[in-house]
Amino acid sequence: MNIEEVFSSRLRMKILKVLAQVGELNVSEIARRLRANYKTTNEHLKILEDEGIILHKVFGRIRLYRFNEHSPKAKAIQDLMEAWEHANKQ
Amino acid sequence: MRLYRSVFRDETKLDINYVPYGLPHREGELRLLMEFFSFILKVQGRMAQRVLITGDVGTGKTVLSQRFGTNIIREADKRGTNLRYVHVNCREYRGSLFLILHHIVSIFYPNFPSRGYSAEELLRILLQVLDDQNTYVILTLDEFESLIDREGSEAVYKLTRLQEIRMNKPQRVSLICILRNLRAIDCLDTSTRSTLQSNIIRLERYSEQQLMDILSDRVSMAFKPSTVPEDTLSLIAELAFSENGNARFGIELLWRAGKYADAEDLGIVTPECARKAVSSIYAVMRKSDLASLSLHEKLFLLGMARFFKENEKAYASLKEVEQAYAVVCEEFDTQPQSHTQLWKYLQMLSALGIVQKKVSAAESRGRSTLVYLPRVPAHELEKELSIILEKEGSASQS
Repeated sequence: MNIEEVFSSRLRMKILKVLAQVGELNVSEIARRLRANYKTTNEHLKILEDEGIILHKVFGRIRLYRFNEHSPKAKAIQDLMEAWEHANKQ
Repeated sequence: MRLYRSVFRDETKLDINYVPYGLPHREGELRLLMEFFSFILKVQGRMAQRVLITGDVGTGKTVLSQRFGTNIIREADKRGTNLRYVHVNCREYRGSLFLILHHIVSIFYPNFPSRGYSAEELLRILLQVLDDQNTYVILTLDEFESLIDREGSEAVYKLTRLQEIRMNKPQRVSLICILRNLRAIDCLDTSTRSTLQSNIIRLERYSEQQLMDILSDRVSMAFKPSTVPEDTLSLIAELAFSENGNARFGIELLWRAGKYADAEDLGIVTPECARKAVSSIYAVMRKSDLASLSLHEKLFLLGMARFFKENEKAYASLKEVEQAYAVVCEEFDTQPQSHTQLWKYLQMLSALGIVQKKVSAAESRGRSTLVYLPRVPAHELEKELSIILEKEGSASQS
């Protein structure tokens, strides 16, 4: 997937933003915080995971998503978000 | 304007959550705990331990386990062992196994969802988390009674038999259960009880001298030098001893007494500050108790109140209070009662809990009785008695 395709979805960007802020969250909680539909959230998470940007861990029925610390793409996105937030605060 | 001078050097040392480096009179129990868990530092994963700590309120159960936790974590860090000490007050989690386990998992995953699974699943999740992170946990369940009351045998059994659902995997969780009375575990089934009862540390009530040592220790950390006289310390130790040897109560009293000293800018924590402190914790004496006393009992007590108000002493000899009583009798234009009669009054006032007496340590010649006001500030007692005596005087004149 091209970068413009990954970045073209507002919900995907919001998911990345909330994970950057909180660190680790389960699907329902991400959907609740973004006031999004569970199924749609799940689909977007799958896309981001396929891109290697995020990954999940399973605990019984719980899936916790977080940034993939080994992915250069994830690192670049986190840096971008941090720089963006920092610039907005100034 | 005068500069504010506090008697405190560092009042956080008197906070209920402060864990001192040394625990006077609990050194043996601390060593024993270290012995029970020393295997974690040597042969991780091959065994788990269960220890019960029992004792009355204020006997140092919580502080003992927390000090042990800090010490063993320091040792584990030195040896590169992944060990966590988790202290949970079961009462804070309403005795719910689910909430307790959720709290522990949240230490590793702060945003772990709080719904959608059972306590049993959460227990498996906890073990999975510990396996993933190759971590061992010493879990202290404080106020364990609360968990037993709510969840009964089943929950405790699950906690103590964790390993049975995961044969051949490392034993990750050891338990310390803190409870006041061992009778609380009587209601558990036999097998659960037997797994728990192997190691029991019983903390006996502190003696008055031990309380003195504990309080002195805290004074040296929390107060500026020479601001807490021996007399005050001894009075507080005695009060704490009368509260079933409750050290926590004594430390709280010490803090409050310091606050009263600061509020009045005394620069020193007088026994009267301690009496004020204790009366702020307890309901002061019942006014009906005072009103029902005979005239001379009231006068005797008034003399005592005035003595303590005028002298910054925690204790008075019988002779001193008799002299104060004689002065009061003169004021009220009445003949003082005999020594034997006053002794009877003292017994009665002591039974009411308004005054206390103790035998002084053997000095050069014999022993003498000392009296003190345990719970009521002298100035309050004097005020109260004066009002009652005035009322009675005006009633008898009319």
